[in-house]
Amino acid sequence: MEICILKPGVLSTIQDLGRMDYLNQAIPVSGATDQLSARIANKAVGNSEGDAVIEFTYAAAEFKAETEILIAYAGDGATFYANGEKLPTERPIFVPAETVIKLINNPDGARTYLAIAGGWNVPEVLGSKSTYLTAAFGGYEGRILKTGDHLKSSENLSETSISILNRLRGNTIKYLQWSIPKALLLPKDHKTIRVVPAREFTWFDSQSIIGFLSDSFSIGLNSNRMGYHLEGNKINRIKNDELLSTAVFPGTIQVTGSGNLVLLMADCQTTGGYPRIAQVASVDLPLCAQLKPGDHIRFSEISKEDAEFLYIEREKELARLTLAINSKF
Amino acid sequence: MEAALPNLLSTPNFEIYYLSEQAVTISFGNEISESLAQEIRKFNSLIHQNPFLGFNTTVPAYATLTVFYDPLVVLLTDLEGLTCFDKISGYLHNLKTLKENRSISKEETITIPVYYGGDFGPDLDEISLHTKLGHDEIINIHSSVTYKVYMIGFVPGFPYLGGMDKRLTTPRKTYPRAIVPAGAVGIAGEQTGVYPLETPGGWQIIGRTPTVLFNPKREQPSLLKAGNQVIFKPIGLEEFEHLSGK
Repeated sequence: MEICILKPGVLSTIQDLGRMDYLNQAIPVSGATDQLSARIANKAVGNSEGDAVIEFTYAAAEFKAETEILIAYAGDGATFYANGEKLPTERPIFVPAETVIKLINNPDGARTYLAIAGGWNVPEVLGSKSTYLTAAFGGYEGRILKTGDHLKSSENLSETSISILNRLRGNTIKYLQWSIPKALLLPKDHKTIRVVPAREFTWFDSQSIIGFLSDSFSIGLNSNRMGYHLEGNKINRIKNDELLSTAVFPGTIQVTGSGNLVLLMADCQTTGGYPRIAQVASVDLPLCAQLKPGDHIRFSEISKEDAEFLYIEREKELARLTLAINSKF
Repeated sequence: MEAALPNLLSTPNFEIYYLSEQAVTISFGNEISESLAQEIRKFNSLIHQNPFLGFNTTVPAYATLTVFYDPLVVLLTDLEGLTCFDKISGYLHNLKTLKENRSISKEETITIPVYYGGDFGPDLDEISLHTKLGHDEIINIHSSVTYKVYMIGFVPGFPYLGGMDKRLTTPRKTYPRAIVPAGAVGIAGEQTGVYPLETPGGWQIIGRTPTVLFNPKREQPSLLKAGNQVIFKPIGLEEFEHLSGK
């Protein structure tokens, strides 16, 4: 299976679930910013969760099926259209060769993930297919996708993928009514982000801490895969110790010297020296991944025990979904 | 047997805190020192020799060691505790008291050839002005010390080096450069370092090395790792060009 990029869109890269093994060499995790959507798109075509997907940022991208393709997409940055027809998310879609698919803006979010049966076939670099733009490696030649790029899927299809393909294959676009609804896995309120107090939580004055957990913050323009600048009330310090650079991780919320918040995302540095006020619960990072500059969010505090419990429950739920799909096809 | 007790028992600080669902950080103290770095290094190799089920990787830093794991695997282990955090904390505390030969491999010394000054070291004048030292003195002082790699951070392969002679202390540039080339050797405050990638940066640049500090095609992409010792060796233009394959 193969596609050709007709319009690359704002920022389109190949990502998987990232690389953890080189953090001590300061190589960031990278990977899909919204891992939940990436995993759902992969599951829907019978792939492994960790197969490579395309991460589109917003819309304006366009691609052509060079061969027949079995794809699925998930995420909230764009809606896919083919021949004027809207394609539904979170389910397998069979698309005949020569079809052009356009991404039309979806105001709900920022990022959309395209999975293809077999996974996108790019070489693994340091144990992952994720693009890391700063050092120009991984993904498709270490760079963002451009007009004219031809992307192929791996030839090795899973039994589930083959069975879905056989069921949908034909001369027209065809999909199932069944889907993997991401919404059911996420809390209803997409603008309240649950956080666990971080190590330096008590370095800030009580007014600032109360404000952090009750005020609204907006996503700044200067926000990307490395991190988001949050605009809102300043956070004041009562303890002025110097923090020696130490490990940080996607979801870490730092407080800069001027009292502003920075929320670290997938491509963040592996270490940082700003004091940390909180760590976003892993289960809510997919919500953060869908935020756009200007969006308003609030933070609510949970315990580390609750964050871990929610993480485990989410993983169990996803494992059950995989079992259900594999037994269905 | 008293003497055989590991040094770590005398460490006043050994505090474990939550970083994320997938990681805890052990704080060993709050200073940049050779002895703290040594303890972190020892404990790091101890974990790698005695990994628990679900262990992923570690990230050493100045005063901390962060331990990453897979919560789904850790939860199923019979380690004591109801949560992964408790299980891992308990395990690490036990490991700390473990009587074990904690010999670690000898610290490797890596020599980094540097062409100082000229077009490759545009900030020597500014450092001269600030330190009242001549170009040759700056180069001599910078290349006559053995540095210690405390940690790798900031960008892939970037070494945080300790041990710079304080006479060279110079503040960062008022206006950072949009592009600092890979291999640039610089000074910022009391620190010195080498840029592994072309990035924006505010360090005072004194020279450039033809050595590649970061290459994702290498098995160990970062040339340096925490614990290494580093020596800068001044070279001429001819050697620079020879080494960079020009």
